[in-house]
Formats: sequence, C-alpha cells, structure tokens
Amino acid sequence: MTQDVEMKEPPAPSNSVSSAASPVLQHLKEIATLIETGAFTKEVRRVLRAVRHTIALRRKLKAPVLSSFLHSVLAPGSEVFVRLTSYLPKDDEHDMEVDTASSGTQAPGKYSLPELEIYCYLLVLIFLIDQKRYNEAKSCSSAAITRVKQLNRRTIDVLAARLYFYYSYSYELTDSLGEIRGTLLALHRTATMRHDELGQETLLNLLLRNYLHYNLYDQAEKLRSKAPRFEAHSNQQFCRYLYYLGRIRTIQLEYTDAKESLLQAARKAPVAARGFRIQCNKWAAIVRLLLGEIPERTVFMQNGMKKALRPYFELTNAVRIGDLELFRSVADKYSATFSKDRTHNLIVRLRHNVIRTGLRNISISYSRISLADVASKLRLDSVADAESIVAKAIRDGAIDATIDHAKGWVLSKETGDIYSTNEPQAAFNSRIAFCLNMHNEAVRALRFPPNSHKEKESAEKRRERQQQEQELAKHIAEEDDDEF
Amino acid sequence: MEAKLVEASQLFDRFKAAFTRNDLHNCDSLLSQLKVLLTTFPSLPPLYRESPTAVHELTIARDIFEHAVVLSVKAEDQDAFERDFFQLKPYYTDTRGLIPPSPQEYPILGLNLLRLLVQNRIAEFHTELELLSPTALENPCIKHAVELEQSFMEGAYNRVLSARQAVPHETYIHFMDLLAKTVRDEIAGCSEKAYDYLSIEDAKQMLMFSSDQELAQYVAEEHPEWEIRNGCVFFQKAKESAPCKEIPSLQLINQTLGYARELERIV
Repeated sequence: MTQDVEMKEPPAPSNSVSSAASPVLQHLKEIATLIETGAFTKEVRRVLRAVRHTIALRRKLKAPVLSSFLHSVLAPGSEVFVRLTSYLPKDDEHDMEVDTASSGTQAPGKYSLPELEIYCYLLVLIFLIDQKRYNEAKSCSSAAITRVKQLNRRTIDVLAARLYFYYSYSYELTDSLGEIRGTLLALHRTATMRHDELGQETLLNLLLRNYLHYNLYDQAEKLRSKAPRFEAHSNQQFCRYLYYLGRIRTIQLEYTDAKESLLQAARKAPVAARGFRIQCNKWAAIVRLLLGEIPERTVFMQNGMKKALRPYFELTNAVRIGDLELFRSVADKYSATFSKDRTHNLIVRLRHNVIRTGLRNISISYSRISLADVASKLRLDSVADAESIVAKAIRDGAIDATIDHAKGWVLSKETGDIYSTNEPQAAFNSRIAFCLNMHNEAVRALRFPPNSHKEKESAEKRRERQQQEQELAKHIAEEDDDEF
Repeated sequence: MEAKLVEASQLFDRFKAAFTRNDLHNCDSLLSQLKVLLTTFPSLPPLYRESPTAVHELTIARDIFEHAVVLSVKAEDQDAFERDFFQLKPYYTDTRGLIPPSPQEYPILGLNLLRLLVQNRIAEFHTELELLSPTALENPCIKHAVELEQSFMEGAYNRVLSARQAVPHETYIHFMDLLAKTVRDEIAGCSEKAYDYLSIEDAKQMLMFSSDQELAQYVAEEHPEWEIRNGCVFFQKAKESAPCKEIPSLQLINQTLGYARELERIV
C-alpha cells in the first residue's frame, strides 16, 4: 500500500540551503507568473505546466525560500498568509524575510489571485509532508479544502486535483483515512457537477483507495461501477484506477479481467514508480496463479524488484511443482509479508490450484494409477478425498481421465494430437488480434498539441493531413464495429 | 425517550419469551412492532446522534437484530435473513468505539458466510471475508465456514459432509442441511463426467441415499439420461470433441481478409 509514496520522488535530506535558495525562489516566482497568465487567459494548460515544474522543485523546497515566496505573492496580514506562515519555522529566516520584504513591495499579484492562494497552500502542504510534520499537514490540507470549496474556477481545478491527493495522503499518513470519506464524496459530487474530469478522476481513485484501505471491496465496487467514466486525462491516475480495479476484481473472483487490469497498470506505470509496479506485479502474479497460469521467471527477476517479489517467486515455484508441503511451508515462512500485502486470503485460495497442478502432473506421467497412490503423492488425508477431488478435476476439465471405482484407480486418456483440431488456429488468431489491436490503440492515443504545426505547414498540407487523420479514425471506428 | 426505551425493552422481553417457546408466528408480529419502534431512536445508525441513553439503545437494537437473524434461520427464510443481517451489520462495523462487542458477533458473521456459500455467492463470500480481522479468522465459527468453502472448491465433498457433525453453533445445522443438497448435486455432476458406470451400492453411498428407491427417484427427476441396469448406474457420456475433419473455410477467409486490411493500414 505504499505505491503512492513511491510515485513521487523521495524527499531530500534537509541540509544547508542558502546558496541554492535564490535560484529556487526565482523558479517559484516564474511559476507564479505562469499561473497568473494562465489564470488571466484562462488557459488550463499553463497551470498544468506550473504544477509539473513544481514537482521538479520539490526536493529543493526549504522553509526560508517558502516563507519569502509567500511574502512576495500573498498580501501580508491576509488570513491565508497568517495561516500558512504559522506552519513554517520562525528561526533562521529573518535575514531572508527582511531582504524579500523590500523586493516584495513591487512584486506583482499583491492582491493574491485565488489560483496563487491555492498554489501556496499546495506548496506548504508538500513541504510539511516532506518534513514529516503530518499532523500540521493534516490541518493545513483541511483548511485548503475548505477554501477550494468556496471557489469555482476552471483554472483552479488542476491545482485542486493535486491538493485533493495530498489532502488524502496526509490523512493516510496519520492513519485517519476514514474521517475524510464524506468530504471526498462531496468533492467528487461537486467535481462531477462542474465537469471537472481531472478532479473526478483523482477523487474517484482517492475514494477507491480509501475504501480498499479498510477492505470495503463491496462499497468500492459499487462506487466504481456507478461513477461516470470518460477517457483518462492523467496517465498516473489511470494506472491507479486500473490497479484498484484489478484488486476489486481479484477479490470477486473475476480473475481474467483482474489479470488484464493489473498487467496493464504495471505496463503503463512510469519507470520511476517502482513501488507501484512491484505492487502490481505481486497481485498480477497471484491472479495468474489462480488462473492456473505460471508467470515467467523474468517477471520476478526485473531490476530492483527481485527482493520484494521473492516470496511470490517461491510461491509460484511451489504451485508449479504442485507440492502441497512446500506450498504450506512457503505460506508459513512469508505469512507476515502476505498479511502485510493483504494477499493472505488469496494465498489460501491457491491451495486448490496446487492440488490441481499436482494432479495434472500425475495424470501426464501415469496412464493408470491407484487412488491411494494419488492420495499419498498429493499428501491428501484419505482416499475418499482423493477420489472426489479427482472427479471434480475431471469435470472442470483440468485432467482428461476416468475413474474406475470398483478397482480404485484412475485411468488417464490418451492426449489427442492438438494439431488435428482448430485449437492452434484459434490461438494464432487471438495473438494477431492482440497485436493489431495494440497498434490501433497506439494510433488512437497519439495526441497533438493544438496549433503546434501552424507555422510550419502550409494550409494545403494541413488540410491533407487532417483529411488523412480523419479517414484513419473513421476506418478504425468502423472496423471496431464489425466482428473481427 | 426514556419511556420509549422502557417500552422497547418490555416488548423485547415478550419477544424473547416467545422466541424461547419457539412461537414463530408471535415472534414475527412482535419483531415488526419492535422494528417500527426502533426507527424512533435517533442514536441508531445512520444518525448516531449522541444522547445519554445512546449506549443502551444501541445495545438493545443490536440485540433485537441478532435475534431477528436467528429467528429467520429458524423460520428458514433466507430473504429475511439477508435483510436482517444487513440491518445488523452497521452495528458490528460502525459502533466499535461506542458499545462493547457482542458475543454473538462471530457466530452470526459465520452464519452469513455459510448462507452465501449455500447460495453459491462465492464472490460475495470472499468480499465479506476480506472485512474480517486475523483474530476473527481464528474464531471457530468463522473458521468453520472458511474451511467449508475450501473443501468445497477442492472437491473434497466428504469433508464438507462430515463438517455437519462438528458445527460450532446449533443454528448452523439448517444451512448445513441445505449445503448437503448442493453437495449432492455437485457430486452427481462430477460422477457423470468421471465414471463410466457405478454399482448401485456405490452410487447410493456416494450420493447419500439410504434406499434404492430414493436413488431411482433422484435419477428419474434430476438426471433422466442416466441408465440403471444390471445393478449398475451407467452415465451417458457427452460426446467428445472429435478432431476436426473439415476446414472452416468461411471463417478462415474472413480472418485472412481482416489481417490483410489491418496490415494495409499499418504499412
């Protein structure tokens, strides 16, 4: 449950700053102007860029820099200013304060734009979280949320989405997620009403996370299936959504869908989000085992994940061999890890798959074997158990055999030549379909910033290009309809 | 408020008396009166308004719903069970900090798990299971249901049946009986695929029938395609999927044309 932490860069150790302070302050001021112009021209894109720049600055944020920044953009004496400065340490900042107070007088934005106000909240909040002052972060974020609720401006939505995230994060760090569920739901409703899709996306994920934190899978699924869906705006949010969706489906035994979501989440996640990808891989490994597949060794040997995935690797091994004893010992050995990952109940479900694999191995190697031998090989308690387990495996199609009850043995049937059936053709077809679909998705996902070609291409060329694009899109849309 | 509380507890006492007498009809009418009365208490879910008598009210309400759940088991009414259980659930999840846990909590949660198992609602079974703490999972009542599910999934049906003797609570017996019926159908389904034939003796024992007539009746009702002759039950095998002799040409042409079209687009 730590992937959100690791999606961000780790906080830098705080050392002396003074030399780095001024460029950072300069940067912050540039960002502030960016936000201002964004707010005036109502261009959400600019605000988005400002947020991105801020994340890059995150590890350089220091108390003196922050306080001088607050001095320069907020009206001193205003309510926000007083509240935010109270979170910053008072010592060793006097010289900075004096020095910026003079320059602050001619700084723009003295009347404090709401966007800038929210931006300051965000900065202080990030700073507090990085300093591990979680309780202060909590109160600061709550104040920020109250302020955001009073505002209704599209340019704020982007900032607000980030703010929601840190709001929930600060509550999670203090282990009081349950308290904010009502607020999040209300915010989600407001965001839906205002067509703030980024906000909806973020809040939906936060709510899912909130529910899953308390294992409320039922509520999570109900919310998820009823919340409005639209094309994802942010890749990170989409990854998280897929991960939560995968988890819900795993619990509800929809393994095939769960596998798809989890693998997609792992693939789409940025390389830097190591913790998140580890988490996805853990769940995906279990789901694949539950489906009766054996994940490849390379899954567990990915760079930087080897250690974290070790328990799951050993588990896979036990399932692959079909040895109940080994499975039990692995489950015991890593039981602490499994309950920390909340996969313990899933591991319990796996027992059944271990037996199945063992049974399949037996059925492949012996053409005829007595039920007593099956019981002893699978380490089952009684022959009667073995008989009904084998019978169920036959019915579910795991093995192809018949049981002779009177003589007490299992007779495996000859495996037919698979190449005499349509099976290979179907497998070939599904793989090609996958590749072609991937290509189409990729084409559709291409996005071009508006107006970026304007100067470079002539009007004629542009018309040509647009026509081509349209045709392509039409083709894809058409052929999606008819059966592949 | 006080007066209402007194009224509720008096009514509840009468209900309990009828409950121990197994007077189901009387119980039912008293229970509906109680439920109506409970709606007038503001300290109950979902309002949770604080009041000096809140603890008392919550406790008595929880007690009433616990009895209602057990009553529905006695009346063998699964829909009522589900309704009452959902009314009871907030008392277990949301009032942890307000009133001490009930001794009936785990038996009833286990009972609910068992119900989901009987109704073959496995997804919900697992969703409920995730809500339980590790200590709850150690409780014999919960453990019973969890182990049943496991045996059921594995196919170790005789373990499911022998669990009936080891029920942790008397109310479980009703559901265990229902489960036995489900298990019989499962066994029949498995046997059909796994055996060519079974002697009548073996079939009787496996499907838990005490006489030949019962078996014959079951076969006639549920599986008319089975055949009983020469003292054996013959199962009619479903036709095996024969190796493909014919090439599905139309389908292949369609697919190949599709590939060509897609490739055209890429190149």
